[in-house]
Amino acid sequence: MVKNEYKISAIKLAKFVLIFLAIDFIFGFAAKQLFFSQKTGKYARITYSIEEASPDILIFGSSLANRHYVPEVIEKGLGLTCYNAGVQGRGLIFHTALEKMILERATPKLIILNVNQNWMYKSETAYDGLNDFVPYYWDYRKILKPLLSLNTKMIDYTLLFQAYQTNSTIVHAIKYFFSPQIDYKGYRPMYGQMMPPETPVSSKGQKEIPEVGELDTDFIETLKSFIASAQAKNIDLIFVVAPLVEEVDFSKSTSLIVMKTIAARESIPFFDFSNDTTYKYKYDLFADPNHLNNQGAHIFSQAMVDSIKVDSLFDLAHR
Amino acid sequence: MLFNSLDFAIFLPIVFILYWFVVNKSIKNQNILLLIASYVFYGWWDWRFLSLIVFSSLVDYIVGLRLSKTDVKRKRQFLLFISVFVNIGFLGFFKYYNFFLDSFVSAFSLFGHDINPHGLNIILPVGISFYTFQTLSYSIDIYKKKFAPTDDIIAFFAFVSFFPQLVAGPIERASNLLPQFLNARKYDNALFSFGVKQILWGYFLKVVVADRAGIYVDAVFNNVHNHGGLSFLAAIVFFAFQVYGDFAGYSYIAIGTAKLFGFRLMRNFNRPNFAASCGEFWKRWHISLSTWFRDYLYIPLGGNRVKKPRWLFNIFITFVISGLWHGADWTFVIWGGLNGIYLIVEILLVGKGKKGWYNVLITFILINFSRIFFRGNSLSDSLYIIKTIFTNPGKLYIGFGDDVIAPVYAVIAIILLLIVEAKKEYFNSLFTVSHNKSELVRMSAYAMLAFIILFLGVFGDNQFIYFQF
Repeated sequence: MVKNEYKISAIKLAKFVLIFLAIDFIFGFAAKQLFFSQKTGKYARITYSIEEASPDILIFGSSLANRHYVPEVIEKGLGLTCYNAGVQGRGLIFHTALEKMILERATPKLIILNVNQNWMYKSETAYDGLNDFVPYYWDYRKILKPLLSLNTKMIDYTLLFQAYQTNSTIVHAIKYFFSPQIDYKGYRPMYGQMMPPETPVSSKGQKEIPEVGELDTDFIETLKSFIASAQAKNIDLIFVVAPLVEEVDFSKSTSLIVMKTIAARESIPFFDFSNDTTYKYKYDLFADPNHLNNQGAHIFSQAMVDSIKVDSLFDLAHR
Repeated sequence: MLFNSLDFAIFLPIVFILYWFVVNKSIKNQNILLLIASYVFYGWWDWRFLSLIVFSSLVDYIVGLRLSKTDVKRKRQFLLFISVFVNIGFLGFFKYYNFFLDSFVSAFSLFGHDINPHGLNIILPVGISFYTFQTLSYSIDIYKKKFAPTDDIIAFFAFVSFFPQLVAGPIERASNLLPQFLNARKYDNALFSFGVKQILWGYFLKVVVADRAGIYVDAVFNNVHNHGGLSFLAAIVFFAFQVYGDFAGYSYIAIGTAKLFGFRLMRNFNRPNFAASCGEFWKRWHISLSTWFRDYLYIPLGGNRVKKPRWLFNIFITFVISGLWHGADWTFVIWGGLNGIYLIVEILLVGKGKKGWYNVLITFILINFSRIFFRGNSLSDSLYIIKTIFTNPGKLYIGFGDDVIAPVYAVIAIILLLIVEAKKEYFNSLFTVSHNKSELVRMSAYAMLAFIILFLGVFGDNQFIYFQF
């Protein structure tokens, strides 16, 4: 009698699994098709970066890269092709993975990494957005497994299912299907001008001192890994700190010091625009305290071109 | 071990197979297996705290047996005192020591006396509020001669530490759960099938509803000074579903898991968001705790069989203590007190006539207003949120950059939940999917649920909110 009950359960469970697998295959397949058919938006840009882009110059970084580097200006100034692979709200771990995935296929001449001053400090948000890579997992498992396992140990098992491979992407895909997001070779301009504060938080001459955090050795190793991947393919590197509207004293930022030290050790040029006077208190060049507007981004991109040219850093055109 | 972890996904099938296919010939062996499994489950967090469970179980086991052997009132009272002292003592020390210490220091400083006490760096053992209440109810019931003790030590220890409900309930009564450990469990496909369905629904509530809503809630409540009233209102609504999804989700998984082993646990939630009064809400929310407080605090205080002022006081004090049970902070005391006041006002002002949708809405608003204190990171944060709601609507926070659409997933999850629950609440007899005559329809519905969990869920080993209690 009991054996019969076991048998019924086993048969029902098997039926359930079969129906689930069928649903997972049908709906999951449709969701994946929808995902990879996106023409604009974050995922479309990431997919393009990974699968198609093969520019001479590739830009990585958070919104400070995505919103600041105008490929058109850089291309015109240096006579080389350029793509902005920056992704808003994503940190060093994300971009190290993205770099490795792109370099599996492409070999740019120069990589510009826009670093955030606090990237070497311990931070929970540093792991944000790694799930963006889930749809690419099985094609880039070697690169992605160690990273995605930071979020969940179940990654290999959950990703057996089609449903999870496009987890949390459907609304994004639908949104940008009906309302395309414009970008210019990855660059997404910000418009509008920042209003000068009536009572400035930090008036001229008074530098704001950012909070100093605890260094995270994992992030330091990640930065080294980013460098190593580029060096393995003989790709030149530049690290850049983007401009800020108000004056900030980063002299005690151990995170920034560590990044500069690593860059110096590896002979990587480090351009620090954080307190560049061209942008200081020029509220008309900023859309918000951290982000240049389109006009500011054009000026900044030209400044980048000039820095590369004036310093005669690389003979990129003849490589 | 978390229900939403890989560890549990491996642990559960192993225990299930051993339970039904290896030790299925003997109840005692099954109980031994459940006891070991429960201790492994609990020890996965911190094995040191297992000693508390073992000690608490041992004390109540001995107290129970001794109580049954004496009718001398003073001796019985002394035995009950031991049980209460040990269980409440553990709870008091681990959960409330620093809270009461800080409160005394603050009280003294109000009168100009500064004292420097020694605070302790105490780790709160997971689930201590749940299992101490469960084991305490055993001793109290035996003291009241409502229940006969067991001399089967394995069964009793397994009852106290039964892993599906050990760390976050439902808080079971010995009269319901303990006999199930003493009697043979027969494998029943219907129970197994029902259990699997409840587990699936629980996971939907947890990883799709609660964890999706929680992303927005955390973003707002953890940065109160960067948000305006509209964002707070949205976060409060999201929190209503986060805390429900989280806790009810855990309960469903617990109840479903218990069914896999042939056990029936009590229902802990009954669609509380459709309650048409605060009194009704508390009959639908965390039922095992509400009834515990009713039976072991409210009724012993006199319940409603006393003069009206005393009756109202009994309600108020029960809710204040219930608030304190949830957390050692004044925010929880205020939350409990507010809910007590709601009930008192209902008794004094609101009739028992027919209630409409607006009663459901008003109840939802009142309950979730009180939850500002429940979720607020501090009393000052909670007060700031309330003030901001009425004075500065601000701009509605909808996420950052490309993540601007993240709250949409929470909205989708909540709509799905409300459709299912509204159907059960108002149109239960109209049509049914989960109990449809067609096996294909039933299975497809649950397979679709599993797909939605994987498609929309948050998978990051997120803790359950009620673990902190």
